[in-house]
Amino acid sequence: MPTRIHVVDDDDSFRTAIERRLKLAGYEVATYPSAQQLLDRLPDENEPGCILLDVRIPGLSGPQLQGRLNELGFTLPIVFLTGHADTPTTVRTIKAGAEDFLTKPVEPEQLLGVIERALARHATARGERHKIEEMQALVAVLTPRERQVFGLVVRGKLNKQIAHELGATERTIKAHRHQVMEKMKVQSLAELVSIAERLGMLGERK
Amino acid sequence: MFRIIPLKRLVVGLFALFVPPGLSAQEVRSHSVLLLDQSDLRGPFYYQLSAGLRGVLDAHAEVRVTIYGENLDLTRFGGAAYEESLKRHFKEKYRDRPIGVIVAIGAGTLEHTLRWREELWPGVPVVFAMLDETHFAKLGRPADVTGVVMKKPLAGAIKAARAVVPGLDTVAFVGDDWARQVLFSHWDDEIPTATAGLNVIDMVGQKMADIRKRVAELPERSAIVYTAVFSDGEGTFYSPSTALGIIAKHANRPIVVGAEPLLAAGGIGGYALVASEIGADAAGLALRILDGERAGDVPPVTREAKPLFNWNQMQRWNVGESSLPEGSQIRLREPTLFEQYRWQSLAIFAALFFQAGLILFLLHERHLRRDAEAESRTRMSELAHLNRQVTAGELSSSFAHELNQPLGSILANAETAELILKSENPDMEEVREILADIKRDDRRAGEVIRRLRGYLTRTPFETKEIDLNLIMGEVFKFLSVQASARNVALYLQISPGELRIKGDPVQLQQVILNLVVNSMDAMAAIPYGRTVIGRTELNSGSLAAISISDSGPGIPSDKLSQVFEPYFTTKDQGMGIGLSIARTIILAHKGQIWAENQSGGGAAFHFTLPLAA
Repeated sequence: MPTRIHVVDDDDSFRTAIERRLKLAGYEVATYPSAQQLLDRLPDENEPGCILLDVRIPGLSGPQLQGRLNELGFTLPIVFLTGHADTPTTVRTIKAGAEDFLTKPVEPEQLLGVIERALARHATARGERHKIEEMQALVAVLTPRERQVFGLVVRGKLNKQIAHELGATERTIKAHRHQVMEKMKVQSLAELVSIAERLGMLGERK
Repeated sequence: MFRIIPLKRLVVGLFALFVPPGLSAQEVRSHSVLLLDQSDLRGPFYYQLSAGLRGVLDAHAEVRVTIYGENLDLTRFGGAAYEESLKRHFKEKYRDRPIGVIVAIGAGTLEHTLRWREELWPGVPVVFAMLDETHFAKLGRPADVTGVVMKKPLAGAIKAARAVVPGLDTVAFVGDDWARQVLFSHWDDEIPTATAGLNVIDMVGQKMADIRKRVAELPERSAIVYTAVFSDGEGTFYSPSTALGIIAKHANRPIVVGAEPLLAAGGIGGYALVASEIGADAAGLALRILDGERAGDVPPVTREAKPLFNWNQMQRWNVGESSLPEGSQIRLREPTLFEQYRWQSLAIFAALFFQAGLILFLLHERHLRRDAEAESRTRMSELAHLNRQVTAGELSSSFAHELNQPLGSILANAETAELILKSENPDMEEVREILADIKRDDRRAGEVIRRLRGYLTRTPFETKEIDLNLIMGEVFKFLSVQASARNVALYLQISPGELRIKGDPVQLQQVILNLVVNSMDAMAAIPYGRTVIGRTELNSGSLAAISISDSGPGIPSDKLSQVFEPYFTTKDQGMGIGLSIARTIILAHKGQIWAENQSGGGAAFHFTLPLAA
């Protein structure tokens, strides 16, 4: 899968220069002279990549584009790259989730390092999300009864307690529990607890 | 003379004894004057003399004086028969005309009068005029005679000749026979002493034709002494001044004369008799006698010849005023324009003087004003510079951005090129492209720095033709970073085409910048919707009109007129000079600037500048 860097900058010369350098570093590069153009053809999130965003762009500004992408739940990491960094803007963008905030002229080594880091983080995050999605898919196939049992098991309840709570026999609960382990593709209770935690089910009170 | 008088009185007294009792002079003296003239009245000298005499007699207030006049014409006629005929003629003519006083002009006339008096005018007193002192001395003062004695020695004429001819060595005498001279006959005797040491050329009594030739060939250091010529010696008679005119035309040397009227005829001057004065003197004496005094009791008066000179002739013979004898009067001086038109000249001079004064005053004023303007411009320049330095802080982000943009490109490109060159099979074409880009970005960076310098350097006020739209665009570009940092939307609406005006680009940029920054500051307190709109328009074909409007709270209406005052500020950190500098700069560009509140809210600042012709 190609890694694509999306460069948003109104300065032709800078776009060309940075495109050359990034290509040399082995990236695919897509350039956008305005923020709107990136909005118009949103990059594929599943493809590894990151956005290199100028702050001051005529029309929609860099920080404004960041806001829009956040609203859209767009996950590609954003690295700001600007001619002049003022503190309020920097703070605002970092708080809004920017990967980093760099000032031109930037050493290509530094830029590449930041991009790598961003890509790695994105990849990790993407992997993580992927796993969670998988787990969510597994949870989705549980029957309501099984989900109830799942929820109580990961909270450390004994079969007897669960049977009492749900008004069923201990044997039935045992069967459900087996079913859950099977469906969730785990061998131990510990694994089950870990899944529940990552899916945020431990906070639930059911 | 002093001794003579008692004797005269005695004679007069004796004479009175012989007068019949009824004819007592004191009572019955007829108020009439018989003027006997040796020459005729055609010549100017006699005319002036008789005019002077008449003037005084006519002015006699108490009784009118009758004046009779006779010309003896002795310069042209003579001989016993002529005298006899004259005597007979006068005897007949004045038989019934009592004469109070006889005025005899000239030595010859006096001689005839005294000879005829016994028979024609017994007992009538005689006043002589123009009797030279030498003749007077010989006369021995007969009874009932007084008059005007003249001092006009030849020495005077020689002195005048020496004055007009430096290093004089020769004098040439020109005139009729000495015996026929009315005024100067005594000079004949004075020649040996007066001309001692000088050569004498004697043309006395010569024919006019000869005189004309000889006066044209006189030696270098000579002068002509002219007495009077009455005829050409061949039957034509003229007045002495006419004759002098002829001679002067041919003479190669200056001509010294002894009578005032001869100045005008061509004489350079000399010790001269003034005829009107002599006439007046004689008239004065005659009046005293008519009023009752005895002629014997009236002492003769003396008139000296005065040094008079002809200005024109002085120019001709190159004689300076300083070389003339002391007390000389210069006649016939050509009146200067000033003398001719004295009052007009004075008026014109006064007007010129006034105007000159006014001009000087205005120049002075102008000078002061220009100094003041130059100073205020310097001040404005300094203040503007200060203001720019202050705003430069705010602008630093713009400059940093503009500068870092090309620097960023250059760095990236340079490294790329380096890596390409390190590769095994470098793409030289790409390296070339990269180098071209680097050069271009480098120039861009240089341009930014040049702009920054231009903005921050203190430059004197300079005027050139510029496009206001371009300036407006630059400033708005400048400020865009600042605007986005302050969350202000900046819009610019430019008129189509150019707005060419004459002015100082840096200062006009500053005006626009100050106005925009001012608008942005004014909106600091409003939470959202901060907008600044700049507009340029062509107004009625001759004005460039600029407006900067904002969406702020506007200006309190009672402060509208004060916003351009120096140190007027509503900001905590404001110096209150931004708008005041804007106004100063606009006024220096012969433009107008004003502020108003918009009907839809917010303030609008406007300025207009005249378009370049």
